[in-house]
Amino acid sequence: MTNLNTWQQFWYYFAHNGLFVLQQFSRHFLISIYGVSFAAIIGVPLGIFIARRKRLSDIIIGIANLIQTIPSLAMLSIIMLGLGLGVNTVIMTVFLYSLLPIIKNTYAGMQNVDSDILDSGKGMGMTKFQILYLIELPLAFSVIMGGIRNALVIAIGITAIGAFVGAGGLGDIIIRGTNATNGGAIILAGALPTALMTIISDFVLGFVQRKLSPKTN
Amino acid sequence: MPRIIKKIILLFFLSFCPLLSLSGCGLPGVSGSDNSTIKIASQSSTESQIIANIVAQLIEHELGYKTSLVNNLGSSTVAHQAMLRHDADISATRYTGTDLTGILQLNNIKNPQKATRIVKKEFKERYHQTWFPSYGFADTYAFMTTQDFAKKYHLNTISDLQKIASNLKAGVDTSWMNRKGDGYKDFTKYYNFSFAKVYPMQIGLVYDAVEAGKMQTVLGYSTDGRIKSYNLKVLRDDKRFFPPYNCSMVVNDSLLKKYPKLAPILHRLDGKINLKTMQTLNYEVDNNLLEPSVAAKQFLEKNNYFKGDDRK
Repeated sequence: MTNLNTWQQFWYYFAHNGLFVLQQFSRHFLISIYGVSFAAIIGVPLGIFIARRKRLSDIIIGIANLIQTIPSLAMLSIIMLGLGLGVNTVIMTVFLYSLLPIIKNTYAGMQNVDSDILDSGKGMGMTKFQILYLIELPLAFSVIMGGIRNALVIAIGITAIGAFVGAGGLGDIIIRGTNATNGGAIILAGALPTALMTIISDFVLGFVQRKLSPKTN
Repeated sequence: MPRIIKKIILLFFLSFCPLLSLSGCGLPGVSGSDNSTIKIASQSSTESQIIANIVAQLIEHELGYKTSLVNNLGSSTVAHQAMLRHDADISATRYTGTDLTGILQLNNIKNPQKATRIVKKEFKERYHQTWFPSYGFADTYAFMTTQDFAKKYHLNTISDLQKIASNLKAGVDTSWMNRKGDGYKDFTKYYNFSFAKVYPMQIGLVYDAVEAGKMQTVLGYSTDGRIKSYNLKVLRDDKRFFPPYNCSMVVNDSLLKKYPKLAPILHRLDGKINLKTMQTLNYEVDNNLLEPSVAAKQFLEKNNYFKGDDRK
């Protein structure tokens, strides 16, 4: 092995462990996606709810901000006390970190809807529900999606640390690389797919965002 | 406009699906998030990961149960805690010497048979865990240096280090530093010398550190494949400080009761991995860029999953 340079080792590694990397890749991706989806399920309605309530919004966003300041390794350890080792701890951590960008963006998106448009909606006799679904959500959609994209990028990074509590994923490969002799190639084999995953998923969500946003003419 | 809203609602419900399935039995696609998988704890050492993968793949191949690894645990104490909390039900690699002093808080026992007998009995009584027969190898701690260094100072045993120890930098396993019974503190008392500076580090790094000359001597695992590839000199433990570290798996009794077919399959591995096999497997992973899971698969396939070795 010593006669190969790092890149040759890198390709050699993929040739022999490709399937394993693929498994860890999908595991890593799923852990991140689950965490972010749960956060979206909680965060988006919460963001909508607090958008019109100034005092409540300060409290909720304050709490979300507070969560974000805890270092991820500390957060993993704290949650591990409750949920134990394993994959659920990491999903929970990803969930907590995803809350802030999602809530904050939903809140900001709802706040930024022009009040004139809301007024004209009201003038047309729309109910509150109709205003929300026909005016506010479509107009705030791209900002909300921006929050989810942001959350997913953070989530993929955090999931890599999750290997320390035994959740698996690409972080496993990186840690193993630090243990092996001349593990440079193995570290790359874990780190590059992680970066690639971030880029691809951000691109895909950006595509979804463009497709679903209301057309302006 | 209404079409967009429909899409948004659809998206919303699609993201709801995972939540619903969580309340059922775990998240699809992520093994280990539910209770029906057999969870196997493995430590961060290469050896532990290879064996955990062997155990996992043996169970999956022969019985079809789902398994999941709880990987990269820092020490056997963490693995033990995970077992007690049922975060894991099988601990892939446990060493008699480590558990005797570390977990059971008993005195060091130098006789391997006696040590095995005691951990078996104590784990059964205290924790309701079954200590399986050894895989067939012992992974003891060993001080090692480069051949050149050993030749220069005529080093053969640990006692030989005494005369130069006050100038030596030593790299050791993190978990060994503060261990009671067979840790550094007891070592200094037993051998009556201490090193100029001791660096606790991740076990996988010590071999490179001594090879690169960053440290003069390191404490590593005797089964490591890199002893062979770097041609390191292992110093004999002439005063027999380190207790026997026969390697076995430990399994929660509750798991064995839940899956009665499991025990005979796990017993197939009894005595099947000797020191040389383990060194080769470690070498494959540490040096030849194989993943532990791939090395484990090759090992099992080569031995035809030890079919026909079932014991009653």
